[in-house]
Amino acid sequence: MSQLEKKAGLLRRTSSSKKPLKEKVVLMYDEIFAKEDPAKNNPRFWDELFLMKVNLEYLESKLESVDGEEVQRIQDNINSLFHHCVQALGEEHQIKVVNALQTLCALFRGVHQKNKSTSGFDIINMLMGFDKAEQRMKDLMERLDSLLCGDGSESLKSLCLKLLLCLVTVTDNISQNTILEYVMINSIFEAILQILSDVSSRGQHGYDAVVLLALLVNYRKYESVNPYIVKLSIVDDEPTLDGMGMVVHQALTEYNRQYKDKEEEHQGGFFSTLTSMVGSMFIADADEKLSVQTNEAILLALYEAVHLNRNFITVLAQSHPEMDIPTTPTTLTPTTPTTPLGTTPPSLDMMNNPELPLDPNLQTSNLLITFLKYASIVMQDTKDEHRLNSARLCLIILTCIAEDQYADAFLHDDNMNFRVNLHRMPMRHRKKAVDKNIPSRPLVCAVLDLMVEFIVTHMMKDFPMDLYLRCVQIIHKLLCYQKKCRIRLHYTWRELWSALINLLKFLLSNETTLLAKHNIFHLALLVVNLFNMFITYGDTFLPTSNSYDELYYEIVRMHQVFDNLYCMVLRVSTNTGQWKEAASKVTHALINVRAIVNHFNPKIESYAAVNHISQLSEEQVLEVVRSNYDTLTLKLQDGLDQFERYSEQPKEAAFFKELVRSISLNVRKNVSLNTLSQGILLKEFSTIS
Amino acid sequence: MEMDLAVDQVIDPEVALKACQEVLLQVQLQNREGPDQQQQQQKQQQQVNNNNMDLTEGGASPQWDAGSIREEEEEEEEGEKHGAVREISQSSSSAAAAAAASKQSWLLRLFESKLFDVSMAIAYLYKSKEPGVQAYIGNRLFSFPDSEVDFYLPQLLNMYVHMDTEVGDAISPYLIYRCRGGIAFSLLTAWLLGAYSSDMHISTQRHSRGAKLRKLILSDELKPSSPPPASISGGSPASSPSHRRRCHRRHNSSSVESSLSLCAAGPVPAEAEADVFVSPSRRTHQRSKSDATTASGGHSAGLRRTGSNPKVEAVHEESLLGIGKRLATLPTKEQKTQRLISELSLLNHKLPARVWLPTAERQHHVCRVPHTQAVVLNSKDKAPYIIYVEVLECESFETSPVPVRIPETRIRSARSAENLDCGVSAANAIANGGSGITSEHRAGSFSTVPNYDNDDEAWATDDIGQLQVEVETQTSSSDNISQFSVDSITSLESKEPVFIAAGDIRRRLSENLAHTPTSFRRDPEDPSAVALKEPWEEKVRRIREASPYGHLPNWRLLSVIVKCGDDLRQELLAYQVLRQLQSIWQQERVPLWIKPYKILVMSSDSGMIEPVLNAVSLHQVRKQSQLSLLDYFLQEHGSFTTEEFLTAQRNFVQSCAGYSLICYLLQVKDRHNGNILLDSEGHIIHIDFGFILSSSPRNLGFETSAFKLTSEFVDVMGGLNGDMFIYYKMLMLQGLIAARKHMEKVLQIVEIMQQGSHLPCFHGSSTIRGLKERFHMSLTEEQLQLLVEQLVDGSMRSITTKLYDSFQYVTNGIM
Repeated sequence: MSQLEKKAGLLRRTSSSKKPLKEKVVLMYDEIFAKEDPAKNNPRFWDELFLMKVNLEYLESKLESVDGEEVQRIQDNINSLFHHCVQALGEEHQIKVVNALQTLCALFRGVHQKNKSTSGFDIINMLMGFDKAEQRMKDLMERLDSLLCGDGSESLKSLCLKLLLCLVTVTDNISQNTILEYVMINSIFEAILQILSDVSSRGQHGYDAVVLLALLVNYRKYESVNPYIVKLSIVDDEPTLDGMGMVVHQALTEYNRQYKDKEEEHQGGFFSTLTSMVGSMFIADADEKLSVQTNEAILLALYEAVHLNRNFITVLAQSHPEMDIPTTPTTLTPTTPTTPLGTTPPSLDMMNNPELPLDPNLQTSNLLITFLKYASIVMQDTKDEHRLNSARLCLIILTCIAEDQYADAFLHDDNMNFRVNLHRMPMRHRKKAVDKNIPSRPLVCAVLDLMVEFIVTHMMKDFPMDLYLRCVQIIHKLLCYQKKCRIRLHYTWRELWSALINLLKFLLSNETTLLAKHNIFHLALLVVNLFNMFITYGDTFLPTSNSYDELYYEIVRMHQVFDNLYCMVLRVSTNTGQWKEAASKVTHALINVRAIVNHFNPKIESYAAVNHISQLSEEQVLEVVRSNYDTLTLKLQDGLDQFERYSEQPKEAAFFKELVRSISLNVRKNVSLNTLSQGILLKEFSTIS
Repeated sequence: MEMDLAVDQVIDPEVALKACQEVLLQVQLQNREGPDQQQQQQKQQQQVNNNNMDLTEGGASPQWDAGSIREEEEEEEEGEKHGAVREISQSSSSAAAAAAASKQSWLLRLFESKLFDVSMAIAYLYKSKEPGVQAYIGNRLFSFPDSEVDFYLPQLLNMYVHMDTEVGDAISPYLIYRCRGGIAFSLLTAWLLGAYSSDMHISTQRHSRGAKLRKLILSDELKPSSPPPASISGGSPASSPSHRRRCHRRHNSSSVESSLSLCAAGPVPAEAEADVFVSPSRRTHQRSKSDATTASGGHSAGLRRTGSNPKVEAVHEESLLGIGKRLATLPTKEQKTQRLISELSLLNHKLPARVWLPTAERQHHVCRVPHTQAVVLNSKDKAPYIIYVEVLECESFETSPVPVRIPETRIRSARSAENLDCGVSAANAIANGGSGITSEHRAGSFSTVPNYDNDDEAWATDDIGQLQVEVETQTSSSDNISQFSVDSITSLESKEPVFIAAGDIRRRLSENLAHTPTSFRRDPEDPSAVALKEPWEEKVRRIREASPYGHLPNWRLLSVIVKCGDDLRQELLAYQVLRQLQSIWQQERVPLWIKPYKILVMSSDSGMIEPVLNAVSLHQVRKQSQLSLLDYFLQEHGSFTTEEFLTAQRNFVQSCAGYSLICYLLQVKDRHNGNILLDSEGHIIHIDFGFILSSSPRNLGFETSAFKLTSEFVDVMGGLNGDMFIYYKMLMLQGLIAARKHMEKVLQIVEIMQQGSHLPCFHGSSTIRGLKERFHMSLTEEQLQLLVEQLVDGSMRSITTKLYDSFQYVTNGIM
């Protein structure tokens, strides 16, 4: 009781006269950094410390200023501070808990800031002492766990997550953060899941929880057994997985909305500039302005969920009404500082809201649709590193989805039709498609559209070869599924064919520049094999018999491209050089295409000659094609319907390492902002008690 | 009276039987007390009656029934006055009373005879004002098989709601007994009571009777309190029934908040006792724990009994109706369908649960709703929709354990297997060679399943050997497999170049396309056409393949149409009449074909309908095929001389005749082509009995003909002079004669339902009389034949039928 009164008294004094007390905290910090045990003179030293408002800046700067030798001397005090912080977490007075959490934050950060080069073990020694480290960290994790799972204050939980995020991101390379070894042993995975499964806590902390999980999963991913990976891969509790999906969905929706707002905003300005300055190169400017900071952390979380957890795939198709309403969910964007409890609006949670809001204008949506829209925005512009990474990650996620049997099943489900408004890059030679006219189709059509869109819009000097490879492979995987399951998708395959042929054309015309950097023959081989899929297995998945004729028509019409390609690869493969083998593979793959071209071209010419027509109509060509199938023999190629399955290691490991590093930096930046502005938090608790 | 004691107690058949005997004894006593003279008279009468009975025993003539009822009625006036007095003070034996008693004994003979069936019981219950008779019949109900009484449940309940207290008192012990016996019955009763009470405003006292029983049922007072059956052996729960009920209540309160949460809450007590997995009690582990207990045996099964509650079902069905109501506000069919799918997918999260479809014949639990298969049906302003429901059959939905939930993605390889060398499931995955069936770490009970999906397995690996398996399964599964896949394998082995002709590929493509059964085009404005055209077996197979529960032997697919905003009570009435006529025709061996479809009335404006399988409406046939009906028959079944066509034609004729009679007798109106279905065997099936008897749509004077018989129909039957057309008329005559013979049985159904009803079909005072007249009791068979000729002739020439079709085309776009 007396303690409580004392606290109240202290706080009252805080508000009335700030200065002397602030100094008191600083004084106490100074005592810690002195050699002597601060509790020696004042047995209630630690009790008092945690009753006072933390001065993070001072504490951090103090820790940073300590140099090598001094460390040795004050190590005991720091160890003791750490120990008491952990103990204070168990206190029933929330003020103490808050202060302890913030102090811990400052400790982790300050120590790392100072000792960037030192090994993780030294840092552990400095913070906790080797001998006690295990016990201390165990206590810490247990306390955090019970705080997160208990039904205490929401802001406390939020602070716990901030502390964890802070701890996880103190090093640039997450795998070098040795303290995390203890987080691996003392798992808080269950606490994270619990946050995600509960509606209200998900709304407030979901974002942080998901990001934290994504980062933890990436700790020493390739070197050791990470229990978080194991645990994430076997989660099968649907509310939890849905919760995770919901958080990702909300974050991506928010991004899409922001982009749309900006686009509209810009379009207003766009027309006004149009009136003032006619004919300037405004579009290029426009693109730069349009870019919204991408959210790689959430995308990484989505990737890990899709890649690791086989049950998560169902969540992708989990429909809920589109959340286009600006809900200002505070937890969604890391850039917005956390608002204290009470001001957070109850998040729109469709899952556990039995009465779904009724608005006829709302399109039903699901995570996959939102993701496709997001990808269409991100892929528009791959110039800067962040967006390139995001686009790559998007394609990797799509690769995983395309490989998944269940995902393929619902992508191709004839009963699940959606309108997906993909964003298309404004280009000079084409008009922006009117949104309303998109028919409702199975989702795979949207995926194919997205791939075609990418192929068409990225033929540039700075050729994103890696993205193109992934793109073509995704198409191949989808075709393999269609062939295997005999799904006759009503898709305008023609668009895909002409996009692919144009891609070949681009490769040919930029051969020299591209060859300096990339193996263009590999891409060419993949593209030609897509055509081979259509030619040899078309009977199993083409929607109409006409579409097979159209395929031949398209090939014959664009025969020049194939001819040139053949000449090129023949030339390269006869020379000795590093591309010899790659090129000769393409020559083999071209056999059937060439057979078609050589078979039909003379037929068409003679038809034109006989009928005295200079320019044959499409219908006439198709007629020729139809009547001359029987004399054409094709060669069956092996392994057309087989593909290499995606595996993260070793190919993608470097990419993910870099990605996680960049995410870590970003999260650290945002967390520091947040934790520093927790003054309001204290007020909340002072009013409670 | 002795039956009053029953109201608040459990009535078991023994008590009921005793009560029956008491009544009989009383009557006999009265007889004995009568003067000797009368006794002699009575004896004579009895002899006569005996003779009568003997005569009728063979033939079961309906006239006899009618006669006896008429006599009863005459007697009633007297009996009513004296009835009460006589029963209280048996000593007063006036002549009149004795006469009545003699009649009663005469009745008694009938009641005790083998001939006395439910139909008669209902008739007497309705007609007799004699409390003794009513009470006797009330008790006799116990002795009839449940299923037979169930057919007359609407009648019973309507009487209960709308007729005198005496009738109500007579029936209520039976109702309460049955309600205690099963949730399905009590729920049905509650729904019907609600529906039939809705018409009443005047007499609040009576209203409260129906409402009271309904409340009683819903309040869970009548839940079965019998000890758990012996089949649940071993550690059967120690908790007493009262305790069970208490914890049950607790769940109830939660079920109000969120739909179906009750089902989820069911296993919670079981979980508390389960220490199988020692792990920190985290959210994620809860499910696996409770599932583990289920698998562990009967122990938890006993506890799960607490989950059986009328509300579970009610909540489920109500959530379906809620969806329907919300759908109605959406403008386009496409949006409706999308919304429907998303709402149903949410429902899926709470399944499997102790939830069942009342329209099904066998006991089951609903385990999954394949939400993507659901479609919105054609309707102008309401939003009826059809859903398919996967169920697992079980012995009893009340006692059998609820099936374990299997996630949607049970058959996929753990991609991260290389990382999972310490996880439990990883061990499994490795044991399975990392390919395919990674048995769920919790669904261990299903791990014995043979490789139910070779396709998926093969898919999960790049192994060529596996691929071969895939190819083999494909060959066996589809006849028109392209040679190709096989070729590709052989080429892998021989490494010699394989050549194929482009023409072959092209030909195979068009052949494959031609071989696929004629399916309808997808039309966003009519999403149901495609879904309904797909053969039922095909659909079942497809859904079964996609379902995680599909491998279970007791897996079944059911479907149901959910309607809200429509009053289905008339449909129910029509269903009963159809059923009655169907059984009459069966009994009389007239090969008329009709298909009564089950109706579940849930309130006066909502309910469910059992869909007719493999059938599409004539409207859809026309719109999609753009063919005449005859050409469509030729397309679907083959040319005139084929066996298939002839069978289909015969089916068509038999069903046409059946429904023509129904349409005539019941005056079914609104017969546009959207309301007439054609099934895959050629039967026509009429649906939507929204306008029958005295009501017709908007009374514009259309559809004056007796039934719908267009020239298209006649064409299918082979033209006016064809044998089949003559057969059609002959069938109708036979059917009418048979129906006439059992007219009372049909009339009675309608008549009782008229009581207190405000349904449009009972509009006016002459409904029953009109119906009776249409049976033409007075005509000779020759005259009847003439009548049939006239009806057919008139209907065929009817200009109004044509007019009505074009009217429907103009107003609703129905072809």
